[in-house]
Amino acid sequence: MIFTPTSKVIVQGIMEPLGVTCAPLMKEYGTQVVAGISPGFGGQTLKGIPVFDMLEQALPLIGSVDAAVICTPPYAALDAALEAIAAGIRQVILISQGIPPLDMVHLIRKAEATETLLVGPNSPGIIVPGQILLGIHPPNLYTPGSVGLISRSGTLTYEVAWTLTQAGLGQSIGVSVGGDMIVGSSFPQWLQILDEDDRTEVIVLVGEIGGDSEEAAAHYIEEAIDKPVVAYIAGRSAPRGRRMGHAGAIIDSQIADFGPDVGSADSKVNAFKRAKIPVADRPSEIPTLVNELIKTSAQRSAG
Amino acid sequence: MDLLEYQAKELFREMGIPVLPSQRIDRPRDLKGLELPYPIVLKSQVYMGGRGRVGGVRFAENTIDAVAAAQTIFNLPIMGEYPKVLLAEAKYDVQQELYLAVALNRSIRRPVLLGSLKGGIDVRAAIDEMKYVVVDQEFSPFFARRLMLKMGLQGALINSVSAIVEKMYRLFLDNDLDLVEINPLGVSPTGEVMALDGKVTVNDDALARHPALAALNPKAPADPLHALDKLTPQTARSPEVVSTLNSDGQIGILCNGAGLTMATMDLVCQSGGKPANFLDIGSETHYSCMPDILGERLENGLEAIAQNKQVRVVLINLVSGTVSCEQIADAIVRFLQHQSRKVRSISEAREDGLVSRVARNPQLVVRLVGSHLAEAKERLSTTQALIIDDLEIAVSQAVSFTKQTKKPT
Repeated sequence: MIFTPTSKVIVQGIMEPLGVTCAPLMKEYGTQVVAGISPGFGGQTLKGIPVFDMLEQALPLIGSVDAAVICTPPYAALDAALEAIAAGIRQVILISQGIPPLDMVHLIRKAEATETLLVGPNSPGIIVPGQILLGIHPPNLYTPGSVGLISRSGTLTYEVAWTLTQAGLGQSIGVSVGGDMIVGSSFPQWLQILDEDDRTEVIVLVGEIGGDSEEAAAHYIEEAIDKPVVAYIAGRSAPRGRRMGHAGAIIDSQIADFGPDVGSADSKVNAFKRAKIPVADRPSEIPTLVNELIKTSAQRSAG
Repeated sequence: MDLLEYQAKELFREMGIPVLPSQRIDRPRDLKGLELPYPIVLKSQVYMGGRGRVGGVRFAENTIDAVAAAQTIFNLPIMGEYPKVLLAEAKYDVQQELYLAVALNRSIRRPVLLGSLKGGIDVRAAIDEMKYVVVDQEFSPFFARRLMLKMGLQGALINSVSAIVEKMYRLFLDNDLDLVEINPLGVSPTGEVMALDGKVTVNDDALARHPALAALNPKAPADPLHALDKLTPQTARSPEVVSTLNSDGQIGILCNGAGLTMATMDLVCQSGGKPANFLDIGSETHYSCMPDILGERLENGLEAIAQNKQVRVVLINLVSGTVSCEQIADAIVRFLQHQSRKVRSISEAREDGLVSRVARNPQLVVRLVGSHLAEAKERLSTTQALIIDDLEIAVSQAVSFTKQTKKPT
């Protein structure tokens, strides 16, 4: 796994309300939060974490950094991410929601050119249970294990993690790509990462209405993923055309999205069914389907 | 946020995209001071599309005709929407109508230039002929010229139309737009181009950094959470923050986070329940979200949901890492205390006691995941709120309350 307890992490916007919540939570979990960045707060500390005005002041003291967690106000997030990439950081996790889409387009172009992994925005980040927390997942709902959990939501990810934990199924990772319209990494990218991850045996993909990332994921799983996948889609009862809180969760037929039917719950469920991926009707069904797949793949490797 | 045509054209004019001389008409008699030469076109300024097909666009040869046409248009709803303003515009002689747009494509995560030789009111025909170019790197005018070739434009039109697309792209970038559309772009017999109609959608998340644009539609639906934060228990009004679903639904749903709200609503429907309304009191990824805000939002949100008298049961499903269940329970207790005070004051006012507490308060079914759950249960044990650990049991309990003929006490 590319995230380990030895990863060195900084929190940008550490003195913002979100940073003040996030950084101590990460540190308590054992994550090496080596510095916080907040312009105007240089020289202070937060729960023992030294705070700097700029990343370049911190670097000579802390050495190379593996990951940056961004908790700045949304309009400052692009700048913070560019500052991190300029400092050579190649894993950037954007927690804040409401970053303007064109800022994300700019950032994604930069990330692609520098091979930087972007997560979020509007994401609780990444947790590798028992190892590292890069974001605000509630650690007590997770337990180490072999289920890789990928989603677009925050609290719904926690709900599914808790459902798995209660059923005795631990997780190898919990990651949310984020609920905004334009997000930094895609489901296929994460499916690829988890397919190569030794600890992950089964992947649970939690999708929701809007956009075509679930359809793309279904297609990608059929083509390129060897590990078993269970899917779940939220929003089957959502009214059409209404924004459902996540900027990305709207079923519409905007001309630029090519095709009016993409985005509905039916379209997504059907895409998974066509790719022979089991779809849970409700969260409580996810552990049942995961257990069935573990049994089948054990039989397959035994036979 | 959508702009009206006349507002979009103002942006076009500032950017140097050619538009016809025009005048804003707030009431029919404004036409008496019209500074445009006749004949003119009068156009209904509404956010809905398709006004041309239902009579929202009319031609007039003189003032008398124009006043009559304006009266008709002011009284003509377009998909239920009445115009507050009309646009009077000079008439334009076109030989050809093109469709042009710049939009953000969420799947490829890049802006896309769109163009069709079949512009005009027949949107189906425009789509059939639609060509597109993905702006996958920093924009340069060649992306626009590439679209011209794909569309099949030739000669002088390549430069004149690509110059328009270039300006549209600058508008798109400078103003954080989700969409800028010109349909049609009129081409005159002499090869002049003119933006005859325009649509501009500003991205809601970016609106706060474009105050001049935000001011164009002060009634645009603001972030519902922002509205929720401004509520006090005394001023709670459901319509602006709570999303209403079914007029005959009896369950109100309150969750934190959009995905969780949708999943909970799905479960209610799957269990045979009918949601009346729902409210998402916000996820934990808001940069200014402090733990005590969630409690306030919960209290205000419950007030807002309970405004709907159809609601007999409120299902609260909150999963939180940053706020303890105990703090959540405290907010619920505060809401219940406030409710019972309100009811008492009503029954005191009516001595016949017809309005009783039982008849007024919705049943609360609470499901919490997070720290200090035992303390939360303790707090709620002395209230009418029912707290249940398992989500699906909580959902079926909420649904079964609505099926009872008598209200639970």
